[in-house]
Amino acid sequence: MATIAGTLAQPTQSGVWSWITTVDHKRIGVLYGVTGFSFFLWGGVLALLMRTQLAVPNGTVIESDRFSQLFTMHALTMIFLAIMPMGAGFFNYMIPLMIGARDVAFPRLNALSYWTFLGGAMILSLSFLFEAPGGGWFNYAPLSERPYSDGLGIDFYVVGLLTLGLSSLMAALNFAVTIINLRAPGMTMMRMPVFVWMTFVISILLILALPPLTVGLIQLLFDRQFGTHFFIATEGGDPLLWQHIFWIFGHPEVYILILPAMGIVSEVLPTFSRKPLFGYPAIVFSGIAIGVLSWVVWSHHMFTTGMGSVPRAVFAVNTMIIGVPTGIKVFNWLATLYGGSIRFTTAMYFAVAFIATFTIGGISGVMHASPPVDSQHQDTYFVVAHLHYVLFGGAIMGIFSGIYYWFPKMTGRFLGETLGRWHFWLLFIGMQMTFFPMHFLGIAGMPRRIYTYDDGLDWGFWNMFATIGSYVLAVSLLFFIWNFFRSMRREPSAPANPWDAPTLEWGTSSPPPEHDFDAIYTVRSREPLWYDRDHGIAAPVATGEHIHLPPPSYYPILIAIGITLLGVGALSHLAISALGGVIAFYGVWGWALEPTD
Amino acid sequence: MAHAPAVAHGGAHVTSTGTENRKLLMWIFLGSECLFFGSLIATYLVFKHQVIERGIGPFPIDVTIDGKVEHGIFDIPLTSTSTFVLLMSSVTMVLAVYGAHQHRLKMMKLGLLSTMLLGLVFLGFQVYEFRTFGHEGLNLTTNMFGATFFLLTGFHGTHVGVGVLYLGSLLAASFRRNGLGRETGEHVEIAGLYWHFVDIVWIVIFTVLYLIP
Amino acid sequence: MAHGAEHTEQEHGLRPMQYVAIGAGLAVITIIELWISYADLGSLMVPLLLGLSAFKFVVVVGWFMHLRFDHRLYTQAFAASLTLGVLVTLALLTLYWGDAADSIRGYREWLNSG
Ligand code: HEM
Ligand SMILES: [Cu+2]
Repeated sequence: MATIAGTLAQPTQSGVWSWITTVDHKRIGVLYGVTGFSFFLWGGVLALLMRTQLAVPNGTVIESDRFSQLFTMHALTMIFLAIMPMGAGFFNYMIPLMIGARDVAFPRLNALSYWTFLGGAMILSLSFLFEAPGGGWFNYAPLSERPYSDGLGIDFYVVGLLTLGLSSLMAALNFAVTIINLRAPGMTMMRMPVFVWMTFVISILLILALPPLTVGLIQLLFDRQFGTHFFIATEGGDPLLWQHIFWIFGHPEVYILILPAMGIVSEVLPTFSRKPLFGYPAIVFSGIAIGVLSWVVWSHHMFTTGMGSVPRAVFAVNTMIIGVPTGIKVFNWLATLYGGSIRFTTAMYFAVAFIATFTIGGISGVMHASPPVDSQHQDTYFVVAHLHYVLFGGAIMGIFSGIYYWFPKMTGRFLGETLGRWHFWLLFIGMQMTFFPMHFLGIAGMPRRIYTYDDGLDWGFWNMFATIGSYVLAVSLLFFIWNFFRSMRREPSAPANPWDAPTLEWGTSSPPPEHDFDAIYTVRSREPLWYDRDHGIAAPVATGEHIHLPPPSYYPILIAIGITLLGVGALSHLAISALGGVIAFYGVWGWALEPTD
Repeated sequence: MAHAPAVAHGGAHVTSTGTENRKLLMWIFLGSECLFFGSLIATYLVFKHQVIERGIGPFPIDVTIDGKVEHGIFDIPLTSTSTFVLLMSSVTMVLAVYGAHQHRLKMMKLGLLSTMLLGLVFLGFQVYEFRTFGHEGLNLTTNMFGATFFLLTGFHGTHVGVGVLYLGSLLAASFRRNGLGRETGEHVEIAGLYWHFVDIVWIVIFTVLYLIP
Repeated sequence: MAHGAEHTEQEHGLRPMQYVAIGAGLAVITIIELWISYADLGSLMVPLLLGLSAFKFVVVVGWFMHLRFDHRLYTQAFAASLTLGVLVTLALLTLYWGDAADSIRGYREWLNSG
């Protein structure tokens, strides 16, 4: 079905079926982004419920079991169903464009990742209809074991995360290969945009960190379903083993959450400072260093478990070292701003705010890198403050920056700058109001995950303050949603490169045609579009070569349904699992035999 | 998942590094599997000594408790035989790959078939071993040795089973009119990578679990 | 893509009989391993066994899986992951068998004592 460049290999399709069978990385990116953002709102609702309960001492809005489910599901939703998929949305949409390719290496595998993600997200979220998990997102044993949590909640956790892990693994494999092998001519590794580099590091981290989590989850599953005792000390097992396994995954995971934001900021800052990123190699290598070091710090989550002094010292030092590459990045971003002719767009506001708030979170992180200090911080609100400064102030700010930055590319429309300012300032103020007082509360001894607290403890004021802040945050999101719909109703007006940005995704129309580029760029510099502009090199023109696009396929969603049923069966009746297995196997066969040209 | 389609790459059939996408995918996936089996082996070893300290048998090796000798449960000659079988399946697999690359389709099909059969024999040994252990009082729940042992070897066995299905699918598809198509060599080679990997995992398991006391 | 591979195969791969010979060699090593596990070699035993199995591992990966004849990137990807897997395993074991084990044992005794 190959045709001449400039026309599409398939007629542009619309309608639900075209989305279900799509293998186009841009559409899959949109699916990831929209799903992720919806779950972000849902996770926010859960957070607001908690903040409402905690606003005053002896609150009575939510009782204790439900509160445990709320903080567990809030965290799982935000981490696995909001931040990761929103990041994946950008990877999908942008990576092929940024490296000058026409799709990812395995388009159908890409679709399969998305649908499997959706299945896992459904399993996890629908647990509210039965019994939601309540063991915290890190789900420590032995609380997670049958004798202490008898209901279905923990099983939803296990099955949901196994499914989501499978989806992430497939996506990560795909992106690793895409970045290694599909770069446009001339785009060496050291000419790749930083966002592509960070995606590469994240992919590698996922590929290597998910298996330990999978093993831990399977062991927990066996404990609960088949009577083993991996994590029950009284029966010869060891609850600390779960902690080790979880955090061997868990620490790389937090960098998986923050690196996309770091990549986005490294794109936004140079564009709006009108000068190349300062210290590109330093930023790339510190990104790699973070990836490597994230493997040797996991036990800083376990300082208070009695690991012995030598391990504690080792992990403390490693944790402090990981602050160095992080700091290097911060200084390079600042140096990028220095002397630039800065345009303060909303994307830029978010990027600059990211640097500030993320740094605060980084600093509190280095504080509890010290075991004696950490034994004061552990399980208090200080940790909650820390993790929200890096995840909300870091990851979410970065993602919003990316949304404002790439919105014209993805939709051909601009988000309103005035509404954008409202969104930014309310979000920024709300975020500081919500999470800064948590430092005080933590130091004052307020434990995390308590569903209420007494009057005489003097925690009332700052809790009320934080709750008001969280409502300000919620209002800021309304401005964003308003902004979004207002823009979508407008006629597309964005030119190919509205920001005069240097990277290749801006070298094609906004939004890009289905085949991405009429002709493939040859890359001569780290800032290809700036280089071509300054050297008077015209954009490459279509040569009339044949552009082959992979045909749509319904096998990805079929296999994903099979995988999801496998999981559902593990929660209900094994017959459903068997059905799921058959569907998945049939799907794999159909997939393998389906012609792709 | 190795049947993903070729790239939509603007007609250019060269990749940036000159490596093949699918093969690279398989290698990276096998890297991921290293962490998977690494975690399982680590769990086994973590509990190995604690099981003996706790004193609730059966044990993998001979253990003296209160002056009484409890005999180890491993049957080394039996497992050596099944190890040998799996090793031989790697030889037949490599011949299948050779056949596929050289367009010697009969050699390829014979290779695939014998690899599958050897894999099934290996699984037969494993079922026999598991049942014997069951009769001797070791199951998943007896002690941590049972739990970690069955989980590790069970997952290895599952990988062998998936491999048999994988090779079986290729074999079945190779009987179609145009066989495995233009990329026969690549398809069989990638399946071979998976199969050999399962074999090397067993090489490690055999030494670390069975041979080292 | 596939065409390149065929050439490498012809130029650098081995012939069937060579593969069979390697397989035979591996079988012999397995027998030696078996013998070592029964013989009384004292403290030599564990390093010997580990060494031999590492040797078998390398032979299968290098020749049967063609890493020796293939693009270096495959080797790098696999070797890096393998190294990480081994290191994580070792780190965990160090935590359990080293000084961490004392505290865990203490905890268990405390549990058992009532
Ligand atoms: C919309 C603004 C947000 C508010 C008001 C909020 C509020 C809260 C509250 C009240 C808790 C429970 C504290 C406790 O009692 O343990 C919590 C925990 C947590 N939040 Fe948020 N949060 C927000 C956004 C986010 C985001 C964007 C993330 C992204 C990952 C996130 C990740 C977490 C994590 C990981 C925990 C710890 C859960 C646990 O320990 O089980 N939060 N948050
Ligand atoms: Cu950490």
